[in-house]
Amino acid sequence: MTVFFQLVLTGLVTGSFLILATIGFSFTRRVEGFLNIAHPELLGVSAFTTWGLNVIWGWHIIPSAMVGIVFTAFVGLIIGRVVYDPIRALGPAILLITSVGVHYVLGGSVDAIVGTGIRSLDIPLAESYRFWGVRITNYQMIVVVFAALATVGLALFLNKTPMGLAIRAMSANPELAASRGIDVKSTSRITWLISSGLAGLAGVMLAVIATLSTDIAFNQILQILAVAILAGLGSLYAVVAAGLIIGVAMDVSVFWIPAGYRPLVAFSVVILVLMFRPEGLAGKKSR
Amino acid sequence: MNTISRKLRNMTAIAAVAAIAAPSFAAADVTVGVLVPLTGELGEFGAIVAGGVEVAVNEINAAGGTSCGMLRTVIADTGGSAEKGIREATKMIETEGAVAILGPTSGVMVALVDLAKRRQTPIISPYAGTITLDELGGDYVYRTVGSDLGDGAAAGLWLTEKGYKSVAMLVQNEESTISPAQVARAALEEANVEITDYVIYNPGQPSYQAELVAVLANNPDVIYLAGGQESGVTVMKEAAVGGFEGEWLLTADLAVPQIFEAVDPRILNGRAYVQLAEPDNSLPAYQTFAAKMMMETGAAPGPFAANSYDMAMLVALALEGSEGCNGEAINSAIRDVTVDGEMVSDFAAARDLIAGGTNIDFEGASGPLTMDESGTPAGSFLIMRAEDGAWVSEKFYPATVFE
Repeated sequence: MTVFFQLVLTGLVTGSFLILATIGFSFTRRVEGFLNIAHPELLGVSAFTTWGLNVIWGWHIIPSAMVGIVFTAFVGLIIGRVVYDPIRALGPAILLITSVGVHYVLGGSVDAIVGTGIRSLDIPLAESYRFWGVRITNYQMIVVVFAALATVGLALFLNKTPMGLAIRAMSANPELAASRGIDVKSTSRITWLISSGLAGLAGVMLAVIATLSTDIAFNQILQILAVAILAGLGSLYAVVAAGLIIGVAMDVSVFWIPAGYRPLVAFSVVILVLMFRPEGLAGKKSR
Repeated sequence: MNTISRKLRNMTAIAAVAAIAAPSFAAADVTVGVLVPLTGELGEFGAIVAGGVEVAVNEINAAGGTSCGMLRTVIADTGGSAEKGIREATKMIETEGAVAILGPTSGVMVALVDLAKRRQTPIISPYAGTITLDELGGDYVYRTVGSDLGDGAAAGLWLTEKGYKSVAMLVQNEESTISPAQVARAALEEANVEITDYVIYNPGQPSYQAELVAVLANNPDVIYLAGGQESGVTVMKEAAVGGFEGEWLLTADLAVPQIFEAVDPRILNGRAYVQLAEPDNSLPAYQTFAAKMMMETGAAPGPFAANSYDMAMLVALALEGSEGCNGEAINSAIRDVTVDGEMVSDFAAARDLIAGGTNIDFEGASGPLTMDESGTPAGSFLIMRAEDGAWVSEKFYPATVFE
């Protein structure tokens, strides 16, 4: 039974990482109105920036990670302004296809700069702690804590600050928001900064727990889409529930079925839920 | 989507290897395609293979080339993708006029079998050990490396000889890793070694904790890890943190020095072994090749470099031994230059013997190249152990062990 509970705990950590990886993606979808396929590449930008500062330049992991997150936030902002803003009027389908092109450019740039092979941060090996027979490492706890902080922080920002309320107004009805005096451009810029910064945070977590190859960030796209679809596209709070459900379902499934079927489990959960609740966990009302 | 993403990623690596290949473009009459992974986690192997081919092509051209003319190479990156491999191979044949394609990895080789036969263009791999080619190979499909049957047999033999009582097997969900694992598993079962877990996992995950939970709970003596670099490193770190104190047997993808930068050497030193197809370093042909490699590149031959050198040599000698200058001609003669003839290991000497009507048995830098029905030579294997942050030789298994 310990093995089962260990898998549940592992699933919660997997779910926490999925929340971090998806929340910025879902935020973009809600405010900017399209699926930004290039979002996972921003995880790679952050992960490799952090790696470069930490390993090549010899910085401590904390300033490396902070610069990595900020740099990624501004990369996302620049892409938003230079690529997406001029074609916003063409609609979400054009924006989505364009984001595939952006994914190309970002991935190719990372490949060109980083090169082949694998990379790891210069940080100590994780330390393991046991609670009631199940084991968790310090790095896994960090992932869980940051997933919680990111979610709560974003919720507070959207509900308690003028800019957050402006973003919500713009996501609900951009024309009406503009007519009521909301600066749509600056609101959009803040949106790009936040969603890209969240991708940056997820990228740092990826670098901390995983071994980096230039493919690994984009490898997360299917699971990000699974979580986003299960949550209900456009919802933020349901991302938390969806991430945990998919993370736990994938990892606990190993108790009964071969591990090679974990991705299948993720999409089986999505299909099952959508059969009974087509609008996703969030329901029709998107928050 | 993943496939699409690789287009732009490939450009830098292609440009870098193309720069290495530049000298062989002069006065070229026969085009050979080099189709390798230059990006992704196997990118380092692709660069080694391209380098080994270039050493051979330079040697052949310096000796006056083949009777069909000088050799030139065109290089393309597969990124490890079968779909991209088919596209690039088609372009090489149709646009560049390649008469042979060298260097695909297992998955790409299998995907190219139909194209090779349809377009009568031989494909040769220096590292595709997959047992699928044991069935498909032999006509337009060749290897200069042994089958995974030997690879897995070597792993099984080593694990049995070491006297481990229990083995857990973690296998990446790919053709090239599952094949040898299946053979190793059968060998262990035959030797009555307990297999505590046989887990096939998907690569590209941030963590492999879920896969490791049951494996660690059963506390095996050794974990056989048939994985890529990205997954393998994470698995080893997570197992160590999870309290695993046993030993490791790793497969060839992890036989690179970079592993010691990515994994705390304390996890590896004295506890990890790696197994790979390896030429007999004591052979004069290997030593000659190694000296050439060192002179041209400034580095000792990497994994599969000798096998890569041999691919280009076989193509050139098959052209000498046939009546034509195309893929069909190469296919008709490639076996004949490796069996029942005068032993020779030098291109110029071999060419002169063929021209004089003498049959040759070309022994390559990687060892004897005489092929079985599937177009595969008997392989030799080396077990290396981690010691002071480097891989050092532990035990060599010559091909005769597995005959």
